[in-house]
Amino acid sequence: MSDDKYESHIKAVLSECPDADTDEVRAAFIKYEEEFYIPPQDALRSIIRRFQSDQAPKSSNMSSQQPRQTKKVALLSELAATDRDVEIEVEVVSHNLREQTIRGEQKQIAFGLIEDNPWEDGATKTRWEYKDWGPNTNITPGSIIRIEGASVNEYQGRMSLNINQGARVAVLREGTRPVTQPGEPIDIADIPKDGYICLVGRVLSSRDDQIHRKDGSGSIDVVRGRIADETGTIGFLSWEPFSHEVGSLIKIDGAQVKTFRDTPELNFGRTTKIESFHDANFANVEKLNSQNMKSISQLTDGARDVETVVQITEWEKRSFTKDGEERHLWSGQIADPTGRCRMSAWQQLPIESTDLPVTVKLTGVRVRAWQGIPDITVDKADQVEILSSAPWDGDIDLENHVVEVGLSDIVNSASRVGIETSGTVVSVREDSGIIMRCVECRRVTRDGECSFSGCVGKVESQQDVRLRLVIDNEDVTASVLINKDAALKLMNTTENKMAKAIENEGQMEYVQSIRDYLLGRNLIVGGRTIIDDQGAMILADHAEISGDDAAMLATEVRAQWGVN
Amino acid sequence: MQPARSIKRQPALHMFASEYGESTLSEKGSGEFDPSFVVTKIGSRVNRVVVAGLLERIEGRDVANGSVIYQGQLRDPSGINYFSVGDYVSDSVKDLTIQLSARLESGEPILVLMIAKTRLYQTDEGAIYTSLRPEEMCVIDTQRYASWLAKTSQSLMERMSTYLSSLDYDSNVESMAKSDLSEQQVLGLVASRNHYGDVDLEHYRLNVMQALDIAEGRLEAASKPAPQRQLVEETEVKDKEVEATDDIESVILDIITKLDQGDGVEFETILINAEARGFQRSVAEEKLEELSDNGTVHEPAFGWFRLV
Repeated sequence: MSDDKYESHIKAVLSECPDADTDEVRAAFIKYEEEFYIPPQDALRSIIRRFQSDQAPKSSNMSSQQPRQTKKVALLSELAATDRDVEIEVEVVSHNLREQTIRGEQKQIAFGLIEDNPWEDGATKTRWEYKDWGPNTNITPGSIIRIEGASVNEYQGRMSLNINQGARVAVLREGTRPVTQPGEPIDIADIPKDGYICLVGRVLSSRDDQIHRKDGSGSIDVVRGRIADETGTIGFLSWEPFSHEVGSLIKIDGAQVKTFRDTPELNFGRTTKIESFHDANFANVEKLNSQNMKSISQLTDGARDVETVVQITEWEKRSFTKDGEERHLWSGQIADPTGRCRMSAWQQLPIESTDLPVTVKLTGVRVRAWQGIPDITVDKADQVEILSSAPWDGDIDLENHVVEVGLSDIVNSASRVGIETSGTVVSVREDSGIIMRCVECRRVTRDGECSFSGCVGKVESQQDVRLRLVIDNEDVTASVLINKDAALKLMNTTENKMAKAIENEGQMEYVQSIRDYLLGRNLIVGGRTIIDDQGAMILADHAEISGDDAAMLATEVRAQWGVN
Repeated sequence: MQPARSIKRQPALHMFASEYGESTLSEKGSGEFDPSFVVTKIGSRVNRVVVAGLLERIEGRDVANGSVIYQGQLRDPSGINYFSVGDYVSDSVKDLTIQLSARLESGEPILVLMIAKTRLYQTDEGAIYTSLRPEEMCVIDTQRYASWLAKTSQSLMERMSTYLSSLDYDSNVESMAKSDLSEQQVLGLVASRNHYGDVDLEHYRLNVMQALDIAEGRLEAASKPAPQRQLVEETEVKDKEVEATDDIESVILDIITKLDQGDGVEFETILINAEARGFQRSVAEEKLEELSDNGTVHEPAFGWFRLV
């Protein structure tokens, strides 16, 4: 067995205990590893301690000779603000790197969150912030580590842990989350919802803008724009001067991702490093611009600088009065082969209702969403260019076009209209069947009263039918609300029959009868979706059971996997 | 870069009793509301399952606070799932449980499908068992049971294929990140491979074959009580063991004689065949060990048995 592998560890011991004998130290490492299966990095601290105590004058008073007594704790709560040499096992929750100038020297330090009690499932766990001055390369999110020699820091009542340069970190369990090395660029398509990232991309647009403080105390000059690589584009907001021209290729390190509504955006601040980048093979502006084009299925709430081609199928002028002045807004339905949504314009467009449907190319527009349905906002008429023909097969009847989409795609994309999907019914909610709705706001009433503040105390309600289910494809789940017509058709009943059944059996038994009918079966549902923080909801105006033929399924399984 | 903490409903996997029941690893996130998972041998991280099968037993048991906990078992072609219905379930599940218990008394075969939460528990002696907590359930007909068998077969084959493709990579996150597997899949696969080591998938394939036969209507087994359904009470099992010992010895020897094609017969195959002839798995396993110890059979390679 080669002794070289202990070299660096032996050096570490010798630097702490200069009088120790190299061979003895090596022998100690070999003993730990071969007899106790303790790898050198884990044995290091024990060995240092042993050789330190060997050197200590034997007759001396221990308490004065050991000014640093390691405090070994299991929980962060056992630590006091004055503790200096601490040993604890924790799980790393997050890990971020940043450059900081310390006493005129550029240094990389790491910070993030750690959590104590890492081994116990379901136990109460405390989280602290930490700063790693090493920084140690083996601290990765998700890993469980033992920190030896850290110190406690208290600032304004908040406790945190300093992992000093002399501290040691041993990995007890590898991280279970993949980690991107800082300074290693990632693709735009892989940008997380938040965090610090590094990116190489080409500037597609850039313009000066101002942000007005809400309290009226002035404004801040910022730069807004878009950056693209071959996997996608992302908007940015720079709080510092940004002088890179449109078309230039740049490397951005330490940009912060913030998510505005549903759309991630890069923020460049004081600590962000931006430099020119050279790569002759990187896609040029024209190519990147062409892929900046979005379809309706790709629109997300809060998106800006959107380019798209859509067909306007309905268009009308609306008037309203604001501050005593009459204003106009044009709005209507639009569609493309991937779905339908709404569009609003604040200026008049050269479109008459008699021309419809009209195909238009939209440039630089923004997207807002109302009840999950994207609404493209056109601020200026010159953002709209009327095309003579549609770039897709003109025969598609977009107004009634239904797009089949996999359940995973539905759940992982923005809200959409005019889709159809399927999944296994895994839940029938107890409030399925007949419900009462407030006549004013259509909300479901409880105990005959509407809970909405606008109609509190109103007791007038109207009977309605709906089914509330959850469907599942073993990957994702979505709530499904099936409207009256579709629900009655699916259950093969009428509103009166249903009401009578509930009256006879009771609500609970009736729901059980729906479960008896639907649970575990594959259901195709069509309608529109609302995707938000609460998950995915499908508002279905069509539902049918499908794929129940077991023999056929079995034959398919045999064919696909060769099970005979 | 913390993962989003929003609480999303966990998907339900179609799973056979064998895959679920052989699990001995669970995983609980660190946050208060993080879901817990059972990790199966082939790396499925499962919080919720869609299971179905023949209802074999439901028994109420009085507990200290005056309420009743119902425990039951559900048999599919691959084995048995154990479930318990306590106070915490919805009224409708509890009602249905009581109804089913009464129907079962009358000897009627009942096929049940349930959506259930997974749970692993450990006895004081350290043995680890799987259990299910039904969220919603219903009685199904053979047609729907057949669909479930086919769907579950598909689902298991997909998971086995995922597991096999993961074997091209080292069992750590860094290595598997290079594969096409999703982050969720990688978590389960890394955990299972580090916990279970090498896994033999052959009996899962057998389960699929049996399930597909039933789904295609080739076996009557779907709605017939399985042979070992009497083996409920532990004392009963003990009595039977004494009587059956000689019997099972000859059965095992017979299985090995018939199936040996030169390399011996695989452990799992012996047990499945013994089970099919009505012997409880644990009994057969014990007997096989005894035969191996006293030299009646020998083990030329690990897990493969031959007659001496």
